[in-house]
Amino acid sequence: MKVDIRELGQFNHLASQGAERAAKSLSQLAGVQMDVDVTDVSLVTETVLAETFTDRSFVGVEVGLEGGLEGETVLAFERERAVKLQDLLMGVTDNGDSEERLAKSSVTELGNIMIGGFIDGWANHLDTAINMTPPRYTEANGPRILPDQAIEAAKKHGVFLFESKLTGMDTDLDFSLYMLPEYRQFVQLLSGNDQGNQIPVNRLSTFEELAKEGAGNAAGQIGMMTGLDTNVDVSRLRFVPLGGVPKQVGNDQFVGVVFELTGLPSGYLVVLFGEESATTIANAMMPGGGAEDEIGEMTEGAIKELGNIMTSGFIDGWANVLQTSIEHSPPNFVHDMGESIMSPVVGKLGQQQDYAFVIDSTIEIDGNTGQCDIYALPNERELARALSALPARD
Amino acid sequence: MTRDQRRADGQPTKQVGIAEYAVVTDDTQLSTSGVGSCLGIVLQDGFSDVSGLIHVMLPTAAESRDGNPAKFVDTGLPLLIEEMVEAGASKRRLEGWVVGGSEMLSFSSDGDSIGSRNIAAAKQAFDHYSIDVAGTDVGGSHGRSIRFDPANGSVVIQTADDNTTQTI
Repeated sequence: MKVDIRELGQFNHLASQGAERAAKSLSQLAGVQMDVDVTDVSLVTETVLAETFTDRSFVGVEVGLEGGLEGETVLAFERERAVKLQDLLMGVTDNGDSEERLAKSSVTELGNIMIGGFIDGWANHLDTAINMTPPRYTEANGPRILPDQAIEAAKKHGVFLFESKLTGMDTDLDFSLYMLPEYRQFVQLLSGNDQGNQIPVNRLSTFEELAKEGAGNAAGQIGMMTGLDTNVDVSRLRFVPLGGVPKQVGNDQFVGVVFELTGLPSGYLVVLFGEESATTIANAMMPGGGAEDEIGEMTEGAIKELGNIMTSGFIDGWANVLQTSIEHSPPNFVHDMGESIMSPVVGKLGQQQDYAFVIDSTIEIDGNTGQCDIYALPNERELARALSALPARD
Repeated sequence: MTRDQRRADGQPTKQVGIAEYAVVTDDTQLSTSGVGSCLGIVLQDGFSDVSGLIHVMLPTAAESRDGNPAKFVDTGLPLLIEEMVEAGASKRRLEGWVVGGSEMLSFSSDGDSIGSRNIAAAKQAFDHYSIDVAGTDVGGSHGRSIRFDPANGSVVIQTADDNTTQTI
């Protein structure tokens, strides 16, 4: 069974439109203006689910899907955000009796309406009915907020996780809409007929290996160069519309390096540090050297050197998994707003594609004192080709 | 996906993402961030109070495999003009601002950078549609954020360098 990456793009678009409709319902019901930040889709295993949801406490509404699209949709709030939403809803319903129960039922009803809006477009696209089971209010810590079937599926072969992040425009409220379609049926829906864009479905799990190998090697290199402890925090491969890539990076100031990759696949690798992390790293790399308080030549030199070594490590990891050869350009030093740094990268990729596979890894440095984000953006067709060319394995 | 926002001063703002555009017929401000090699193009017919902003990534649709017309200068600008005319603007009265097109990265495989090709494409399109240029801030090697205020027809540009803003 093969999946067509353009179909994946189409479903991503549906999820994004659905999230917009869900946001609109919320503003009509509770008077809160929400913005849909990014919608992405990734094939995740149990480990990634655990990492993504760990140490957080959620309140959610769960709806089962049957018919043309089977699976589960979950609207999840972090617990403290849910309290905020309950307050907003209480204000609207203006009923002081048995507060907790009322809030629960309001949240459930709200979730039901939002999920309904989210699913509408899918039914249209698939030209079939999608039935929703009655909404269920759930509370849980970590990945248990997701349905048991999804966690089981993640253990076996991975599960497709659609995530739309919604953020309040004038209130401090944010939550995520997750869609976890039933694996086998969804893989059927993804099978297109364009050979050049297809990836054998059993290779999709290789994505996670790519993310892990690359980031693990890069983190090791930071440790060797600086003597600081490093830890790969989250490493995940997402499939995102190109325009959503800069939004994921955000508009804080970053210091970093951008590399062009050539080989199979070609693409771009972006290594970004927050300004403080960059200074910490540069000082650690040159003990006794003239420490800089601001980002100057010394930091630039250090970040370029470190970026070079990290990138070599990263693409060695890829070359191992894909059994191909990949080279990288000299480093382009950048010190700018995050979204602007990504602008020429998505511009270049945009000549060939509308969506991007983004391998997004966060490396924690020296406990919580520093952080480094690595974004790898391979050419999607070449990545599909490299994955398809891998020898079969069990 | 544009979004409406109300700033602290009560002035509503429409946020425009990459490869998106928005048209307004009141004093709603138009804003976009992450303009590196991309271009933010603002058009206004001040007489009819119609303003538009598009955030394009690449010069021409012909050099890309597929995609949404708002991604390119040569297909995005006519799209924006059309929408503005529908909202009541006159093509003859349009004036415009072009911001961005910086060269932040240089790779050996590059011919001309995307930034400079975007600027050239915008010049050509402005000539083609006979749009008066009210202001430009292009080139360089830094990113920009843009905010257009239809009330006074000014574009405020923010850069990362020492966080300064300038108005054109």
